[in-house]
Amino acid sequence: MPKRVLIVDDAVFMRNMIRDIFSSGGYEVVGEATHGIEAIEKYRSLRPDLTTMDIVMPYKSGIEATREIVKGDPKAVVVICSALGQESLVMEAIEAGAADFIVKPFRAEDVLAVVKKVLGETPKG
Amino acid sequence: MSRYLGLFVAEASEHLEALGRDLVALEGTPSAETVDSLFRHAHSVKGMAASMGLEPIAQLAHRVEDLVDVARRVPGALGRDRVDLLLTTTDAMLALVRGTGEGNPPAPQPELLGRLGEAVTALTGQAPRPTKVAKVDPLAQPAAPLSTRRFEIRFRVLPAAQSPGPRAFLVFKKLTGLGAVTHLRPPLEDLRAGAIPDGRVALVLETDGGLEAVRSALALVPEVELVSAEPVADEPAPEPQSVATPSTEPARTVRVRTELLDDFLEMAGELLLATARLRDIGRRFPEHERPALDEGVDRLHALVKDLHGKVMGARMTPVAVVTDQLPRAARDLARKRGKDVEVSVTGAEIEIDRAILDAIAEPLLHILRNAIDHGIEEPSGRASAGKPARGRLRIAVRRTRERVVVDVEDDGRGMDPEKLRAAAVARGKLSPEAAERFSPREALMLACLPGVSTATDVDDVSGRGVGMDAVKRSVESLGGALELESQPGRGTRVTLRLPLTVAVVQLLLVRAGGEVLGLPITKVLGAVELPDASLQRSPSVNLITYGAQLVPAHDLARLLELPSPRPPGARPWVVMESEDGTVALGVEALLGQEEAVLKALSRPLDRVSGLAGVTILGNGRPVFILDVPRLLA
Repeated sequence: MPKRVLIVDDAVFMRNMIRDIFSSGGYEVVGEATHGIEAIEKYRSLRPDLTTMDIVMPYKSGIEATREIVKGDPKAVVVICSALGQESLVMEAIEAGAADFIVKPFRAEDVLAVVKKVLGETPKG
Repeated sequence: MSRYLGLFVAEASEHLEALGRDLVALEGTPSAETVDSLFRHAHSVKGMAASMGLEPIAQLAHRVEDLVDVARRVPGALGRDRVDLLLTTTDAMLALVRGTGEGNPPAPQPELLGRLGEAVTALTGQAPRPTKVAKVDPLAQPAAPLSTRRFEIRFRVLPAAQSPGPRAFLVFKKLTGLGAVTHLRPPLEDLRAGAIPDGRVALVLETDGGLEAVRSALALVPEVELVSAEPVADEPAPEPQSVATPSTEPARTVRVRTELLDDFLEMAGELLLATARLRDIGRRFPEHERPALDEGVDRLHALVKDLHGKVMGARMTPVAVVTDQLPRAARDLARKRGKDVEVSVTGAEIEIDRAILDAIAEPLLHILRNAIDHGIEEPSGRASAGKPARGRLRIAVRRTRERVVVDVEDDGRGMDPEKLRAAAVARGKLSPEAAERFSPREALMLACLPGVSTATDVDDVSGRGVGMDAVKRSVESLGGALELESQPGRGTRVTLRLPLTVAVVQLLLVRAGGEVLGLPITKVLGAVELPDASLQRSPSVNLITYGAQLVPAHDLARLLELPSPRPPGARPWVVMESEDGTVALGVEALLGQEEAVLKALSRPLDRVSGLAGVTILGNGRPVFILDVPRLLA
């Protein structure tokens, strides 16, 4: 059974790109959210195996959304989609409970490598 | 366990001493807060003793707690006899605690336990709860469980990582999720900033998850490789800092042995002297070389003075250290004499140098004994004098600009100047004529002469050879003064005026009889130059004119029984304050002013009347500092 993914980003372009990467990697994209509040709601109803999270979004930032999602479900796996130069925000997100991060602009194989690793799908060593 | 023992003895003793104070306070003015405080102290002692496996102490504390708990519900439950029982128990626990510190395991106390149990039963009609107190091993409850293991972990952020800072930080976070991380290199700030040489990070992790958990956690992190993870030797756990001190002020403090503070003061004092000596040597240099040297010496002097001030500050101790013991002492003493006394202490928070505090502990206790023994009347006597049955002793500490003043005031029978006069004459201390010249207030001070007392009985209360003369002497040797005020039938007040700190005195250096001598500048009012011929001679004493007043004049050399060359012309007269008013001292020369560290005289020089101490001048020469009032006495 493929792992289920929720994509959170306020840019259509990014959501489409991430969706294509996951689909090509054999994952099932079960939902998309365009801001932090929607992300929390969708996470609660969908319970995905993995959530990708943009940082800067309207209504509620990715950091706040991550904090609330992890608070509600300590086992939640949230991967931050950040850009270069956002290091301090990434560390804030890690403090808030993010499991890992990927840095834009990203390539499909890098994203999948990180996701596999985070979900424990790669053999150890 | 043994490394907790010292801490246990210190903390438990503090609680037990506080327990004793609360009990005495409770007897004076019962209040719910005092009862609560009693309960807390007993409870703390119980917990600590149980943790140490000291069952006999824990059992006693437990029973005290029981009895105090009943008192919370039954007003008036703690009458005099029960307070007595609780005080006896407190003393017994204190002895057991101290004994433990000396390596003697506490013995069970069935008799006390029985009496406490009976008291509880009498009040509640029920037998108290069993006193078996669960043992808790403190070693089983340190910050981390015993299975804790320490590992040194090295990992490397791969060079391909786009954001090495967040990458390393993520690993750090995952490891802190497993346990406590210490010895992080590079430090966290550098790590977060991505300043990680060669991507290599090392740290020590204390975790009970084992190495496997570390490997699993790191396996989930991309762009990172685990270099090594190896067990390291255990470090001693940090000393528990505040096991049982529920301090309301989270001030960061350390306990320092008091001898260490003495050493610091001594050394700071020596530094002051050494600086003065340097300055003295500098004066021998040619004029053009001196500014640079003087500048250096000035800077050194300022620093050393600052250091000296800080050390003095660290030695300041609240008067409470001494006065806290007094209500209990007064109570026990009064009961022995069949009297009833209530002691109130105000200003106990005022701070004073530890050395002075140590030196007044005994004198204060003696003043208290005197007040209870000779001042406060028996209840019947008080009733017929129209006073409340319970005598009142007021200890008030206050601070003036440069002094700490301690008043000990009782509302007892007071002192009769006439009887003191008569006693002094009868004991051959004074001629009847001299006694007549004393004002009533001066006559009171006769109580401070050795062997003069209106008390005809010698008992174990104050007949211990420590009289008011000893009290006065010890207060004066500190640079303090003692005053007595009394109204027959109304009470007596003893006032101690104490310096805040010891040690540094400003001296006026003079030459008299060919010797260099120091006079404390705080007592100097001024100086005049006058020939001996201008002295006005009266039958008993010579006088000089100082301003508008006539001042008794003494030749200092003669007072000291030194040869007095008596120069023909004018010579300096130093006008000083003394207890009996102003006095002028004729000297051969004024030599200057110097800051000096007062050193107490040791035997046999301490027996010489009129010497306050000794100091070493900048040139290395010892100089005696004169105690003018005693010189004239």
